[in-house]
Amino acid sequence: MKQKAPFIDSLLGFTAVVGLVALYAPLIAVVVLSFFQITRLRGVIGFAPFSLEPYAALVANHEILSALATSLTVATIASLASLVLALMFAFYFVTARRGFGLLMQVMVFLPFLLPPIITGLALLIAFREIDFSRGLATVIIGHVVFIVPVVYRTVLVRLQLLGRSLTEASLDLGASQTQTLVHVILPQMRPALISGLLLAFAISFDETLITLFVAGSETTLPIRLWAMMRVGFVPEINALATLILLFTAAITVAIGLMQRSQGERAS
Amino acid sequence: MSAAPTRSDTSSCRRARALVALRHALNLGLPILFVLIPILSFVLVSFWTLQDGQIVRTFTLANYRSFFTEGSYLPVYLSTVWLSLQVTFVNVTLATAIALFIFRRTPRVRFFILMSFMLPLFMSYIIKVYAIRTILGQRGLLNEGLMALGLIDQPIEVLLFSRTAIFVALAVIYLPYAILPIYLALDRIPANYLAASADLGASALQGLRHIVLPLGRPGIAAGAVFTFILTFGDFVTPQMVGGTQGFTFGRIVFSQFGLALNWPLGSALAVILLATTLLAVALAGLTLRREHVR
Repeated sequence: MKQKAPFIDSLLGFTAVVGLVALYAPLIAVVVLSFFQITRLRGVIGFAPFSLEPYAALVANHEILSALATSLTVATIASLASLVLALMFAFYFVTARRGFGLLMQVMVFLPFLLPPIITGLALLIAFREIDFSRGLATVIIGHVVFIVPVVYRTVLVRLQLLGRSLTEASLDLGASQTQTLVHVILPQMRPALISGLLLAFAISFDETLITLFVAGSETTLPIRLWAMMRVGFVPEINALATLILLFTAAITVAIGLMQRSQGERAS
Repeated sequence: MSAAPTRSDTSSCRRARALVALRHALNLGLPILFVLIPILSFVLVSFWTLQDGQIVRTFTLANYRSFFTEGSYLPVYLSTVWLSLQVTFVNVTLATAIALFIFRRTPRVRFFILMSFMLPLFMSYIIKVYAIRTILGQRGLLNEGLMALGLIDQPIEVLLFSRTAIFVALAVIYLPYAILPIYLALDRIPANYLAASADLGASALQGLRHIVLPLGRPGIAAGAVFTFILTFGDFVTPQMVGGTQGFTFGRIVFSQFGLALNWPLGSALAVILLATTLLAVALAGLTLRREHVR
C-alpha cells in the first residue's frame, strides 16, 4: 500500500497530463485536419465542413501508393528475415561457448545502440566500397541490421525462460534435433515469435533515418512523406498520416496486450 | 564387416564438424560482415581525403583538422551539444515525474497509463515531426489560433524555423524513450522497502528522496543517455521544423553525403559524433559506478 501524499501526487499528475497533451495533441490535430480542412478567408482561419476529399485524393495518388507497396514489401521481407536471424542468434547464444555468444551479441546489439545516422552512413560507405548499388536490397539489409537486436532480445528472453528440461525430455524420448525444434521449442515460443514479428514489422514500416542513407532511388513511405513535406503542404498527407497512425496504434496495442497476457501467465 | 561402420563414422564426424564450423561462420560472420566491417570502413574513410571529386586513399588527419579550423563546424557542434543537453535535462526531469506518477498507481492501472505513454513511441517518426510542424508552424494551429482569438496580430516567427521549435519538437518526440527506462527501474524496487520505510515513520516525500530516486538512478541515467544519443544524432527533425536556422551537427554530417558529397569529411564528422555519444555513455556509466563504490 502506497503512502498518501496529495501534494506530490497532484504535482506528478499535473506533469503526466502535460506530457500526454504534448504527445497526443499534434497527432489528434492531424487526424482532425484530415476530416476538416483549414480554410482561409481574407486571412481569417476557419474549418471546412466534414469531407473525405483528402482520402479520395490519397487513393488516386500513385506516388504514395507505390511507396506504400515498397514499404509493405520491405517490412514483410525484413521482419521475416529478422525473425529467422534472431532465432539463429538466440540458439547460438544459449548453446555456444560463452565468449563466442557474447561476441556475437555485442555485434548484434551495436546498430540499435548507435545513433541511426551512424548505422546508416556506415552501411552506405560499405556498400559503396564493394560497388553494391543502392536499391531495394540495401534498404532491406539496413532495416534487418537495425531490427534484429529488438527481435533477438524478445526471442532470447523467452528461450531462456524455457529452460533445458523440455528439450532434454524430448531428446530422451527419441525425437531428433529438428523434431524437438519444430514440435517442442517453437510452439512454446509462439507468443514471443509473434510479438517479435509485429514489432519488427512496425519498426521497419516506420524506419526513416537509416533508410535516407541507403535508399538510393527506392522510396519507402516515410521517405516519400519526407520529400512531400519538404516541398510544402499537400492535403493527402493528413489523410495518409491518419491511416498510418491507426495502423501502427493497432499493432502496438496488440503487442502490448500480448506481452501483458504472457507476463500474467508467467507470474 | 568392421570397416564399413568406421568409414561412415568418420564421414558423419566430418559432417558434424563442418556443421559446427558453418554455425560459427553464420553466427559470427554475418554480424562481422554487416555490422563490424561497415563501422570500421567509415572510420577508415574518415582518414582519406577528397581531391577534385576523387577520393584519395592516403592516411591523413586533414578532415579532423578542418573540423577544428574550418567554417562553422565547431560552433555548430558545440551548439548542438548544448541543445541536446537541454532537451536531455528537461525530458529526464519530466520523464522522472511521469514514471513516479505511474509507479504510485495501483498495478492494475499502471499498465494502461504506461501503454498510453508508450503508444506514441511506436507512432511513425516522420508523421510525428509533421504533426508538430502542423501545430508550431508559422501558419500552424498555434499561431492561427492565437491570431483568431485576437491575442496576437502577426504570426510569432519564433514558433517555426527556430531553435525553440527544434527544442520543443525533439523534446516531444523523444519523451517516451526517457520514460520507459526510468519506469522499468522503479518497477524493480521491492514493495516492502517502501512499506518498511513507512513503518519506521518516514513520510512519502522522504521515501521518495531516500529510497525510490536512488534506486531509480540507473534508469534515469539510461533515459538520459538514450535521449542525448537520439537528439544529438537526429538530422530530420531539425531540418523539418528548423529550416535554415536548424543547422545542427547531424544535418552537417548528412549533407556531406547528399549535396556536398564529401564522404571523407562526412565520415570524420560522423566519427566525432560517434565519439561524443560514446563519451556520454561512458560518463553515465562512470557516475553510476562511483555511486556503487560509495
